[in-house]
Amino acid sequence: MRFRWIGWRDHLLGLALGAAYVAALLVGSRDVGMARDEGFYVVAAERYGAWFERLFEDPSAATTREAVDAAWSYNHEHPSLVKSMFALSHLAQERWELFAQPSMAYRFFGMLCGGLLLWVIYVFGARVYGRAVGAFGALAFALIPRVFYHSQLAAFDVPIVLMMTLVTYCYWRSLTDARWAIVTGLVYGLALETKHNAWTLPAIFLIHFLFVVFTERRAREAGAPKRVSYVPWWLLSMALLGPPIFVGLWPWMWWDTVPRFGEYAGFHLNHVHYNMAYFGVNYFRPPLPMSFPWVMTLFTVPLVTLALAVAGVGARLRALIPPGLLERVWPKGGVEPDPSRTDVLLFGSMLAPLVVISMPWTPIFGGTKHWFSAYPYLALFAAVAFVRVAGAARRWLPDRVPLRRHTARVGAAAVLLAPPLVETIHSHPFGLSHYTFAAGGVPGAADHGMNRQFWGFTTGSLTEWFEERMPDGGTVWICDTTWSAWRMLQRDGRLAENIRATGDLVNADYAIVHHEHHFVEVDYQIWAAWGSVAPVHVLTYDGVPIISVYEHPRHARREGDVP
Amino acid sequence: MERDSDSPTSDAPSTSRRRWGALWLALLGVAIVELVGHFVVQARVVPDDDWARAAGLVRRAHRPGDLIVAAPGWADPLVRQALGDLIEPAEAGRSDLAGYERLWALSIRGHRPEEAPDAPAELDRAVGAVRVLRWRLPSEPVLYDFTEHVREARVTLGTGDGARRCTWRRTGRPRGGGLGAGPIQPAERHVCDPRRSWLWVGTTIQDDLDLSPRYCIWQHPAGREPIRATFPGVPLGERLVLYGDVYYEHERHEEHGPVHVTVSVNGEPVGRMTHRDGDGWKRMEASTEVPGAGARGEVTVEVTAPNPHLRTFCWAATTRGSDE
Repeated sequence: MRFRWIGWRDHLLGLALGAAYVAALLVGSRDVGMARDEGFYVVAAERYGAWFERLFEDPSAATTREAVDAAWSYNHEHPSLVKSMFALSHLAQERWELFAQPSMAYRFFGMLCGGLLLWVIYVFGARVYGRAVGAFGALAFALIPRVFYHSQLAAFDVPIVLMMTLVTYCYWRSLTDARWAIVTGLVYGLALETKHNAWTLPAIFLIHFLFVVFTERRAREAGAPKRVSYVPWWLLSMALLGPPIFVGLWPWMWWDTVPRFGEYAGFHLNHVHYNMAYFGVNYFRPPLPMSFPWVMTLFTVPLVTLALAVAGVGARLRALIPPGLLERVWPKGGVEPDPSRTDVLLFGSMLAPLVVISMPWTPIFGGTKHWFSAYPYLALFAAVAFVRVAGAARRWLPDRVPLRRHTARVGAAAVLLAPPLVETIHSHPFGLSHYTFAAGGVPGAADHGMNRQFWGFTTGSLTEWFEERMPDGGTVWICDTTWSAWRMLQRDGRLAENIRATGDLVNADYAIVHHEHHFVEVDYQIWAAWGSVAPVHVLTYDGVPIISVYEHPRHARREGDVP
Repeated sequence: MERDSDSPTSDAPSTSRRRWGALWLALLGVAIVELVGHFVVQARVVPDDDWARAAGLVRRAHRPGDLIVAAPGWADPLVRQALGDLIEPAEAGRSDLAGYERLWALSIRGHRPEEAPDAPAELDRAVGAVRVLRWRLPSEPVLYDFTEHVREARVTLGTGDGARRCTWRRTGRPRGGGLGAGPIQPAERHVCDPRRSWLWVGTTIQDDLDLSPRYCIWQHPAGREPIRATFPGVPLGERLVLYGDVYYEHERHEEHGPVHVTVSVNGEPVGRMTHRDGDGWKRMEASTEVPGAGARGEVTVEVTAPNPHLRTFCWAATTRGSDE
């Protein structure tokens, strides 16, 4: 296997894909209410931003322990790099008003990561399997509905996928060019500073490296020249460069580093369990069924993308077989493993996140975002199959068709990407509530008793209703939506200032219930407190209830809605 | 680099290659099926107008003793939006079908309500994408529903001479609310110990272990000393059916102790139930045909727990059968 040379035109194409994606995300994000976790990160970013301003004005005062702890202690369960970028982006917004809404300023870095990720997927795919694979892989990844949703947010989930994919790419390059080992270490430091998912990478690389070493040894025994080094320079670089970058970029870690790292790690190693509905059962403690990430992948990634990925793995199957076994079980075939065992790396990187989430001791996180780092490779295997489909289509096309090769590729891509495109567009702005055809769509998933949403972001879809219903303002009990998320709807100009959030359910003018299984408790509280089971409005998505809105009978009487 | 399968040598495909090519082309079929399937799913979404027209049909024929449900359960908010004024909180939080004469169901996507009798519906009408179904229910008259008479109950904390009367209070507004906060404290309730705010007796709605609503009487145990609710002049009928459970979040971990319930008629115990975590909305049935008791009697429900920590117990009971 010889790898394709990548030139500036490829980078330009990758960047163009990314730029188009960022543009789509910017437009889309106007409709997406701020999610629960985003609210916390925005608060953190505001504190970081104030610290950055102080740093520019008076560096010595800003770098005292008191000043650092005051600014950086909040939300220290997550590293600071991404939130720092949110903060800098927002500072730029304050100075130059770059974005149409304040929320966009916080979210822009996440969108940028989504765009850059397409670039990395394109370059990775193009270098390994060819430009068609790179391009199709990037598009197939972009058109996973939940990826599109998360790419719009001021959160870590897409940035960490970018960083993990980039580290993997650098590691892969380092196998044949030791200079890349330094880059691997540098990028790994940034990945550590992005989210703790990066902790899993050395284990994945070590397993892969064993394949590489054994393959190399057998090749050398057979008389081949040295192709890859037995020395894991990448590991040395990751170990030496990663931790200093991690600590250096996170001011909170500058003092009491060891105990603070222990506190940070402990948070994730002893993570709370979220409620998650799965086939009608509300899981609140491990183990979740091992099938969870696999079924959720089946139900949320477009079926055709999954079918292509399975077919793509099948097409590359011979290159996945360990050295020693290959000669015995599949001595000859059209696909040869390369010295870097690239297929094994991509396959392992695809499986590892799903396997980790499947483990019975893994905390219940719930969201598909926790194994998003599998999807770039899933998309690349899908793209491998796409090339085969296009090749088959070319042979079946009549000779009179002009530019058969290009016609076949464009035609096949159009057909294969049409469902993901349609589903992604349809998923907006209900991303987390969306289920694909394999689940029977949103109503099918409701029939199966699957989780309908989390994070309270769907409140953003109620703003027009509230504006119309409450021209004189009033109070709303906001259920799973955070105060900062509600406030952001007002800052964005989507909700009047006099429509206020309240924590007093009993006395609110309106109360909303986000329909997750365990939130029925709030429905019942409202029934008991207000004496009625009738919501005045039900926000639906494909006919499935997403939010119920109740009106306090006192308010209804005042408004003359009831006698 | 992998050899592209559409290399120039592939212009004269062999039979084997054609066969493989057909398999690869089948993936285009997956895409087409998914695309068509997506639009079929969209086409089957129930329009708001169908719900409104189906609700109108129910509303015109509804009468006291009718119960309205949604099938599937996830459509319940839509049914309550359309017909919620005909569904009392006590009906939404029912324990079973006793006392109801007819069951209406607004059904979509071919679902049948779990509570439907094992018989064909007496009414089955399609209103757009909504099916309106109605069954006549087996007669099981309810003589007395304890949840309707909490105010009349005499509630005490403790035993013997040391028993203290809990006082009926009208605070003007309910208290509580929010995820994990547990059931709402009603505006009117018997308050047993103001220093222990959980020791009150009154009606509320609690989510049981299945997350179903239960309209019930909150009677949190105080420990080994009983909390007693005594209801005077209860028509006894043939039997008393009691259900009870602990609040979902306090039961689901299955790590707390039991709750003991004793039901007495005129001071004579007629039934006991021990509720353990994992039991869910547990049913107990006791005969009320006590020798010497008349058609009416005094019924006492006593709740204790060896360890009352997080024993957020709530119960509902009725007497049933002939009142002759």
